[in-house]
Amino acid sequence: MSSLWLRCRSVLIWSPMAIMFNNHFYTLKTVSGRSMQPTLNPDSSTSRDTVVFDRFSIRLSGQLARGDIVVFPSPLDPSRMLIKRVLAQEGDTVSTLPPYPAAEVQIPFGHVWVEGDEPFRSSDSNSFGPLPLALIDSKLLFIVFPFSRWGSLAVSSPDRLPHGPIKRLQEAAVERERWRRSRVRLAPGNN
Amino acid sequence: MNRLSDVFFRLKGAPRRVYTGLRDGLRAFRATPFKVAGRVGKNVGLTSLYLVNGAAAVHLFSDYVGNVSPMQGPSMLPTLAIDGEYVIENIIGHRLNPSNISRGDLITFRSPHYHHRIVCKRVVGLAGDIVCVDPTGLKFPSSVHVLVPKGHIWVAGDNAALSIDSRDYGPLSTALIRGKLFARVWPPRDAVIFRNPTTYIE
Repeated sequence: MSSLWLRCRSVLIWSPMAIMFNNHFYTLKTVSGRSMQPTLNPDSSTSRDTVVFDRFSIRLSGQLARGDIVVFPSPLDPSRMLIKRVLAQEGDTVSTLPPYPAAEVQIPFGHVWVEGDEPFRSSDSNSFGPLPLALIDSKLLFIVFPFSRWGSLAVSSPDRLPHGPIKRLQEAAVERERWRRSRVRLAPGNN
Repeated sequence: MNRLSDVFFRLKGAPRRVYTGLRDGLRAFRATPFKVAGRVGKNVGLTSLYLVNGAAAVHLFSDYVGNVSPMQGPSMLPTLAIDGEYVIENIIGHRLNPSNISRGDLITFRSPHYHHRIVCKRVVGLAGDIVCVDPTGLKFPSSVHVLVPKGHIWVAGDNAALSIDSRDYGPLSTALIRGKLFARVWPPRDAVIFRNPTTYIE
């Protein structure tokens, strides 16, 4: 009994460090929803993706690049967390997709443009406009579960791959990336 | 000191403690001065770990419950001075009840322009309100009005001439809000609990 109490007490005493690590460095989360398909939660996978998210590089150094996948509370409903891909950073000009009122938008200071990989089921910057960097909670590092999908999501060059479904998936990812980039005009001096 | 004197006695062939068994023999065989150094190192490590843990606890408290923080900048004159004032920021109230925000409250939030900075402004409009973008006409003609969208509020500094607020970055998402200003504690002669000054004209 007393040893159980001692164990609980030591867990309690050291919990601030654990919570700090989780809040400011790295955290594990399970992604639900289809808006990042087929990059995350693809139909071929039987379970939802569990992913390591990096809070450290967002909060402390503010490092973010076009193409990063980020997590943030929805600006329209803070209780919902969204996961989207960064398309453009401040100063860039983006060609928007339908729900957005203007055809082109220049990203204001301190903001980014985010979109889901699945353009039809996604509530993203096309519905709520540029996203303040201050809202971004973390960025995706790598998938840890399911184990068959273990690893980072970097798109490798499909040229070296043997013919087969993996090559076709990679080719589709490269094509999507090319399409994303074609819609963004980079800010001057930022190539 | 005790340990060192142990060594001394053992070297003289007069141990103060009788070592028996293999384990004790090994313990006696190990050079005791090294052991003392190891113990000191371990204590330093553990102490610094406790210090880091304590700092983490303080930081978590100030992130989740509330804190006393200095205020800087001219944007909230005359409510808050440019420099040298300390206020209590109430964070747990907003965490427990995020919808409890009314027009006239002093709130703190992460700046949409500089994401490291936490700023304080006054709430002017809630979601669904139609607000005049700039009644002073400094940044926009005073005839421009906007509808505050869902999940957003409209914030403004009390000193319109020197304030960066919703006139610059538009409606503020409520997800950026951190807490409310509860009271000013320093300087003591200006100590005050902030009350909402809004009056509604029927």
